[in-house]
Amino acid sequence: MGHVMPTPPLRILVVEDEVLIALELECLLDDLGHVTVGVAGSSQEAIALGLSTHPDVALVDIHLVDGPTGVAVARALSADPRTTVVFMTANAKRIPDDFAGAVGVIAKPYSERVVAGTLRYVAECRAGHAASLDGLDGFRLAADGWDRLHP
Amino acid sequence: MTDMARGGMPASIAESTLVSAFSESPTPMVLTDVAGGAHPIVWANAAFLALTGYDWDELRGRNCRMLQGPLTDRDTVARIGAAIAEGRSFEAELVNYRKDGTSFWNGMTLSPVRDADGKVTQYYSAQADMTGKHSLEVAMTLANNDLERRVSEQTADLRATLEQKTALLHEVDHRVKNNLQVISSLMLLKARRTPEGAVRDALNGMAERIGALSTVHRMLYSAGDVTRFDLREFADDFLGDLVAGLDGERTSVSAQIDPVAVSAAMAAPLALMLHELATNAVRHAFPDNRAGRVSITAQRRDGALHMLIADDGVGLSAATPNPAGFGRSLVEMVVRQLRGTIAWSETAPGTRVEITVPLDAISLRDAASEPDVETPRWAT
Repeated sequence: MGHVMPTPPLRILVVEDEVLIALELECLLDDLGHVTVGVAGSSQEAIALGLSTHPDVALVDIHLVDGPTGVAVARALSADPRTTVVFMTANAKRIPDDFAGAVGVIAKPYSERVVAGTLRYVAECRAGHAASLDGLDGFRLAADGWDRLHP
Repeated sequence: MTDMARGGMPASIAESTLVSAFSESPTPMVLTDVAGGAHPIVWANAAFLALTGYDWDELRGRNCRMLQGPLTDRDTVARIGAAIAEGRSFEAELVNYRKDGTSFWNGMTLSPVRDADGKVTQYYSAQADMTGKHSLEVAMTLANNDLERRVSEQTADLRATLEQKTALLHEVDHRVKNNLQVISSLMLLKARRTPEGAVRDALNGMAERIGALSTVHRMLYSAGDVTRFDLREFADDFLGDLVAGLDGERTSVSAQIDPVAVSAAMAAPLALMLHELATNAVRHAFPDNRAGRVSITAQRRDGALHMLIADDGVGLSAATPNPAGFGRSLVEMVVRQLRGTIAWSETAPGTRVEITVPLDAISLRDAASEPDVETPRWAT
């Protein structure tokens, strides 16, 4: 992987209605040295938590308790320039062409390596470092994902 | 009749012969007089009487308009009138009526008959009953319209059914992926809450196997082709995971996997097999910080997949008792399921596993793929 400069831990909002997946993801984020600022299972909760916590990154599932509302959540959360939104879904076909403001998508079922690699990529981009997506087969960058990560 | 009126006809044919021939002709014919503008019928043959159902006495001196009726096309009548007024020949198809009131399609040719000075004196017309042709055309049009309607109905039905099935497939695919993620999360959560030791290792091992199957599912259903699976794409992804967790200074993994497209039925067993063998070699061949290499090759040759996994580690007998026991029997079960053969051997140092699996019909349908020796990017 070569030498990488250290990046500060990310403050992450998890938007996932499947409790087991959310819980395991929280443990993984903790292992990776990041901080989970909240877990939301519905679009309302997600948008409210976004407003109150201003996370660095939001990991957003498409299907939530109140339906396929993850797309609207991504639009709302990405309106805050401080927040980088990444979809995390088994239903990538529902993502609109403009990715609703998200920078990319992690396909479910994901491996921990892809989650780790994606967050490392996002952290390095946000820190202004050069970053590579090599080997991250389970992550797909949106058409304007790179531009969004380099404002 | 003058020579000119006879056209190119030999003078030796007597006029009486012509009259006789026309009278007996099965083609209905009629002659009208243009003098005076009333165009009375001055001659008609027997076939014309038969076609129209009138006697000669009923036709003589009358205008051919008597044959027209409600369904006769007025425009065509007007065009016939114009042609006659200009002394031109004309062809038309027109609805006419018989004496009994029944209608028929009359296909007619009209041509002027001129005297020695070239002045039109009469009009000659030959007819043909085109009713059969017309009803055939109408029947054909109706049949065509009906056929088109039925085809478009069936196409719409098929399209709706296809859309339904596609939506169903996406739904099932989504559920399978989500459930695999839940199962994997469940295993990992339990592993995190289990003290270090055999049970935790077993849980993590299971989560990894589920991960291998998940990767197969993701690759099968995202590529759009749900019948084929590229073994190299899988190996690239899976070995990337494996290498990421290794101390690269101590253990190296090299692989040469042909881009072999296998059927969906073979995908999961092959993926599981590759996962077990590679993981076993990496985890158990190099205890006590021993350095070493694992090499993996997969080639397609003679309708079969040949795989070789070799390491220069401690060897099967020297490894700690039965750490790979489950993995090894899993591999043997999978090879049996695929009707292949497996040979384990000690190479001192190390272990060598050779597997040959016959490719099934679907896998063989793939065009012969050239072995690609490009080194995958994760190999260090």
